[in-house]
Amino acid sequence: MDRPASRPWVAFAWAVLAVAVVVALTPYLWIVLASFKNRVDLFASIPKWTFTPTLANYPAVFIGKDYWPLAINSLVISTSSTALCIAIGAPAAYVFARMDFPGKEDLFFFFLTTRMAPPISIAVPLFLFFTALGLIDTIYAVVIAHTSFNLSLVVWMMRGFFADIPREIDEAAVMDGRSRLGAFLFIVVPLAAPGLAATAVLCFILSWNEFLYAFILVAFEGRPLTVGIPGLVTPHGTLWGQVAAVAIVATLPIVVFTFIVQRQLVRGLTFGAVKG
Amino acid sequence: MTASTRGTLLLDRGVGPLLVLPATLLVVVFLVGPFYYMMYTALTDLSFADASRNGNFVGLDNFRKLMRDDPLFWDSFLLTLRFVVLAVSIEFVLGFALAFLIFRFVARQRLLTTLLLIPMMIAPVAVGLIWRLLLQGDFGMVTYYMRKVGLLSQNAAVLSSPDLVFPAIVAIDVWQWTPFVTLVMLAGLMSLPRSPIEAAMMDGAGPVRVFLDVMLPLLKPIIALVLLLRGIDAFKEFDKVFIMTGGGPGTLTELVSIYAYRVNFRNWDLGYGAAVAFMVYLVVLILCSIFYKAIYWSANRPAPLGGHG
Repeated sequence: MDRPASRPWVAFAWAVLAVAVVVALTPYLWIVLASFKNRVDLFASIPKWTFTPTLANYPAVFIGKDYWPLAINSLVISTSSTALCIAIGAPAAYVFARMDFPGKEDLFFFFLTTRMAPPISIAVPLFLFFTALGLIDTIYAVVIAHTSFNLSLVVWMMRGFFADIPREIDEAAVMDGRSRLGAFLFIVVPLAAPGLAATAVLCFILSWNEFLYAFILVAFEGRPLTVGIPGLVTPHGTLWGQVAAVAIVATLPIVVFTFIVQRQLVRGLTFGAVKG
Repeated sequence: MTASTRGTLLLDRGVGPLLVLPATLLVVVFLVGPFYYMMYTALTDLSFADASRNGNFVGLDNFRKLMRDDPLFWDSFLLTLRFVVLAVSIEFVLGFALAFLIFRFVARQRLLTTLLLIPMMIAPVAVGLIWRLLLQGDFGMVTYYMRKVGLLSQNAAVLSSPDLVFPAIVAIDVWQWTPFVTLVMLAGLMSLPRSPIEAAMMDGAGPVRVFLDVMLPLLKPIIALVLLLRGIDAFKEFDKVFIMTGGGPGTLTELVSIYAYRVNFRNWDLGYGAAVAFMVYLVVLILCSIFYKAIYWSANRPAPLGGHG
């Protein structure tokens, strides 16, 4: 297959890929444009690709409708659940990568099944449970829920990254007089830092984008952006400019992160099964 | 025996695995506990809408009802299967084709793949809203162009049209998730060993033969992984469709997870709702164990998958 490709084929390939990029990006681009449109341009029956941009939608919804706390909620939920996930998940992943104990692979599979569990199937008990704990409608409930379901991702992804580091490195550190834990914290973790960072970013993205748990667990106070946006859509007279503005704030950080972690993404999204 | 080797032995012989405990505990308390509670609830008549049904044990009544007298459940179940099969197969064909084109013709793939990834990285809720705006009946951009080329009549709207709404949610899932297949298949193609391919070419095999006889068999495990992961995710689909149509018009796009949501959080029929939720879980669990087998199947092969530690 390594023969140099003939000209028409190259042209064909690029044409197809160009169409793919346009199809993939136009819908997103359209909502970016929508967030800068005034009502007249937005509701024009012939789509307007050029218009005089307005910044009014952003303050109207974030300050006027008091949506800025939702952005803070999203940030707090994603950051704290990511930190917890890494703190609890990385040591576990290290154990899975380095040590043997009875039932290890079963426990490992068990983690996968928790990740795959459809949120809707445990939503009710979780709802009742957090109600009993008095945590319903608080940010804590969402942080705990997100931490539990992202934990398996950390365990699965980081096991692969730790396994990539030669065993001899931690053994040498232990020979030099470090404790096993010290070797893990000060030798292995720094070596696995790129993988750890990618895992953290992926956790952040998944928590930031999550909808169903948050939707069921918090209705008012602790609402993140994903739960807040649908509230702006009403059967009649939806202010699409404002919806678009919130959607942009809810997605732009993720788009930026995607550029950062693209290389490790394959691994994360296939639970470490495929190395990108 | 020095202190450090004793420490090592201690860690290797039993204390080390304790580091798995916090993670296991958290998952058990917040995911497995609720799961067992759900299984228990499925055996009761618990309902928040009816005060007399306060969780009396009813055995397998809920499952009996589910199996025999609930056409709505089976409609939603079959609808979900159709959704999964259609969406995942289209995604696979398109995604694999794109991956192959990128692999074969594009030297510096990074920017291109990242741009293609955007649909799958943004929140599904946002995807739902974006498409709701695009398909809006009066001023939707896509609606306008569909009418222009005659795909849609003047006063119809895609998301409220009984004929178009299901193809639309499939198409939007394809829009969102084709990049996933591209990304993973591209990784698979890039990690293919060169020697068997070169050997086949030396033997005079054409590109099509090389692809079918050499590359495809080598890619089998990775193909299995992609299909399973997408299948599991598609079966759980909730966010996008819930935001776009809420399951409507009527129940035309009521996927099984939306049906479960309705029974639980609209009708507050928790006992029966748990039985429905259990069925969703069961299907996912079956797919999940196949996925796990597939990983081990591929881990025992040299390429293209690396497996794990």
